[in-house]
Amino acid sequence: MLLVALPLLFILLQAIFPHLSAGSLDGAFSALPALLSDPELPALLGGTLSVGLSVALFSALLGVPLGILRGLFTLPLARTWDLLMLVPFFTPPYIAALSWTLALQHNGYLMQLGGPDLNDLLFSRTGIALVMTLNIFPVVYFAVSRSLLASGQRLATVARVHGATPLRAFRHVTLPMLLPALAAGVLLAFTLAIEEYGVPAALGSRAGVVMLTTGIEQRLADWPIDLPGSSLLSVLLVAVALAAFALQRKLVGNKEVTSITGKPADVSSCGLGVWRGPALVLFTLVALLVVALPAGSMLLSALLSTLSGGLQWSNLTLRHFAALFALHGDALGALSTSLGLALASSLIAGLLGFLAAWLVVMQRIRGAVWIDGLSLLPASLPGIVVGVGLILLWNQPFWPVTPYNSWGILLLSYCCLLLPWPVRYVGSALRQLGGNLEPAARVHGASVWLALRHVVLPLVFPSLLASMLMVFAIASRELVTSLLLAPAGTQTVSVFIWRQFEQGSVGQGMAMATVAIVSGLGLMLSALALMQRRAAAESRRF
Amino acid sequence: MKLFNPIKTGAVFAMLFTSGMMITDASALTVYTAGPGSLAKSLATGYEKQTGVKVNIFQATTGKVMARLEAEQANPQADVLISASWDTAEELQQRGWLLPYQSNNAAKVPAEFKTDHYVAQGISALGIVWNTKSGTPEPKEWADLTTDAFKDRVTTPDPSLSGASLDLLIGLQNSMGDRAWQLFARLKDNGMAIAGPNAQALTPVLQGAKAAVFGAVDYVTYASIQQGESVKVIFPASGTVVAPRPMMILKSSQHAADAQAFIDYVLSEEGQKAVADAWLMPARTDVGAQRPLISDLNILPAQAGGSADRGSVLQRFAALFSKS
Repeated sequence: MLLVALPLLFILLQAIFPHLSAGSLDGAFSALPALLSDPELPALLGGTLSVGLSVALFSALLGVPLGILRGLFTLPLARTWDLLMLVPFFTPPYIAALSWTLALQHNGYLMQLGGPDLNDLLFSRTGIALVMTLNIFPVVYFAVSRSLLASGQRLATVARVHGATPLRAFRHVTLPMLLPALAAGVLLAFTLAIEEYGVPAALGSRAGVVMLTTGIEQRLADWPIDLPGSSLLSVLLVAVALAAFALQRKLVGNKEVTSITGKPADVSSCGLGVWRGPALVLFTLVALLVVALPAGSMLLSALLSTLSGGLQWSNLTLRHFAALFALHGDALGALSTSLGLALASSLIAGLLGFLAAWLVVMQRIRGAVWIDGLSLLPASLPGIVVGVGLILLWNQPFWPVTPYNSWGILLLSYCCLLLPWPVRYVGSALRQLGGNLEPAARVHGASVWLALRHVVLPLVFPSLLASMLMVFAIASRELVTSLLLAPAGTQTVSVFIWRQFEQGSVGQGMAMATVAIVSGLGLMLSALALMQRRAAAESRRF
Repeated sequence: MKLFNPIKTGAVFAMLFTSGMMITDASALTVYTAGPGSLAKSLATGYEKQTGVKVNIFQATTGKVMARLEAEQANPQADVLISASWDTAEELQQRGWLLPYQSNNAAKVPAEFKTDHYVAQGISALGIVWNTKSGTPEPKEWADLTTDAFKDRVTTPDPSLSGASLDLLIGLQNSMGDRAWQLFARLKDNGMAIAGPNAQALTPVLQGAKAAVFGAVDYVTYASIQQGESVKVIFPASGTVVAPRPMMILKSSQHAADAQAFIDYVLSEEGQKAVADAWLMPARTDVGAQRPLISDLNILPAQAGGSADRGSVLQRFAALFSKS
């Protein structure tokens, strides 16, 4: 847990001691009154809360029905839909925001194709919340559907056998079992929304919406730099997230739900009947909105020779893609760096997250709440704050060895930022395990580790794998800490794209984004296929 | 057990994948730079070829570069800093962070673009960027953007994020006084949108969502024009401001001699040609470029004095635009 706690400690110290980075402890707390009297504070806090709450609400509205459909019923093409819902995680939020801008703004692609002008909707508070929701709601979808898939329908069937109506069985059996996962998903959506930087930065200024993250960024990017002010705002942001976390624990924290008992589970789900058609239409529409439109806009921008040339056949070109491979290997280097780092961080974060969740849920060690809370913290921290915290921590002259100024610092920051994913996902899966499985293994002579590996791990493996895939997806395109921490001479995909945007070649940036998303997805799919083949081979042996 | 073999293979694979990046060369020169990455790259390559010293580049916006520099105070990493804002150099000099150096190659750099501690790498200017296909009349003056033809069709970079944009506000205020603020008020009434840093103000103009940028950095636009975008950079005859890009050596540098050689290289004819190829004005007056140079422009005074003044201009501008 030191991984998470130390940079945070240094941010807190920085917030209290404004001259910390110069190695001095003078003027403790002197930055606090300045912040409290800042006239911008209410707007920052209000913007953050309202966008965060709207995104949580929209995500629940969109994610819960889809998750239930996926989890409870035999949905045609189920795996395809899962895969499509993963695409937003591969799409960097700043790319998505820019894609939506290019598609929807006045004279954007939609208008050029004869569609309506949605400029005013896009550049509004609602627009920002909607764009963020489309990126974030899959966390709710996956939390809900995975939880339902893991618990199966056995208990609900029991209720039905005893005479409950389908609705009653759902309300009194399925729903309560779903609640921990649902609450965790919504909380994650909220924290992801309040820590998101790319979308408010891309849309916010034109919509007149400010958020804490953009405020922090501004204090860091504005000359002279206000490290203490941004640290204080970060502490405030963390406080908001912790309040949400406390609320979630209060609402569902103490409910014990046991659904995996070690007895063979019935994994069959019911058919959709006449609702098959409408469900498919719903999924298709959502996939269009979440994947096809932004990806289409992105691909178009990558293929258009000039933006001002508009949608003309003569304006299509592959030169942006060609340029990627001509740039002294910069683009390919960035791609392999990002994929390598993403792979490594998904393995490390997966392992640590699994252990943390297991300690919290199964072992109930002392201070479990602290571990749980600490592991959630980074999700509420804007990347830029983690980045600065890591610099403050690791760039002190007293360390004999430091990962700073090597790729190790990027790995460290990704693991720190993304640890909440495995903890949340595995935690909610562990909460559904019966409390007697592990003791049973222990009684039969298995050591703690043996029981962990052969009993607990296989049972929560689908959740762990899902969270690791998400870590992979997010790490492969993480922007803000990469911008700050990438050692001189090293580029990641997101940094490369950002530089392209800064220099005015939107087309080349979008081409790189396309290549990165396609290769990331490809890698993930082949990993999944490989595991499935092995799992199938394994089950044939029995 | 079998299930985890792919993961193990993956881990080994990942380590092999990334181990190549691990080696950081202690003898290399570290350059932190704002601005065009292609320029940083070509300067580094040219210098490496000439001296054999490897250059590690960290390139970001001025704000991010400064944030990193400030956070690294306890254990500085950078040898050379190239910023996009003259102010930052002044500030660092006042803090006593800079190593004084006068390059022999700086002889042809005008006096206003060099001091004992820092010297311009190149210079950009601010202008109006206008989409020639937007169906609006070509603007000639800043005030033309307040006409009905440009109602709701103008963007401007956020002066709190773009130092160059703030320089323009100060320059206009210095030369026009209160009439500058009347101009800003009319621009606001005409629906001018404030849009992030430079590139974010430009992109909507490229696509035609907006017709013009008030106060765009020129070199980014020249590069887009070269790519075939139908936009035009217009420098109003009434005057505009330039943004020299200071380069400096940090006192904490362990490679002072290499750093000095790097500054010499950037100011050499070859280095200045690379600057011109990035569509900036070369700092040396004896190196040409395919774009208007300082002598072709009417320059307003940008530096008005202390940073308090900058702060008050920024505040007044923010207050003007936050009123709805």
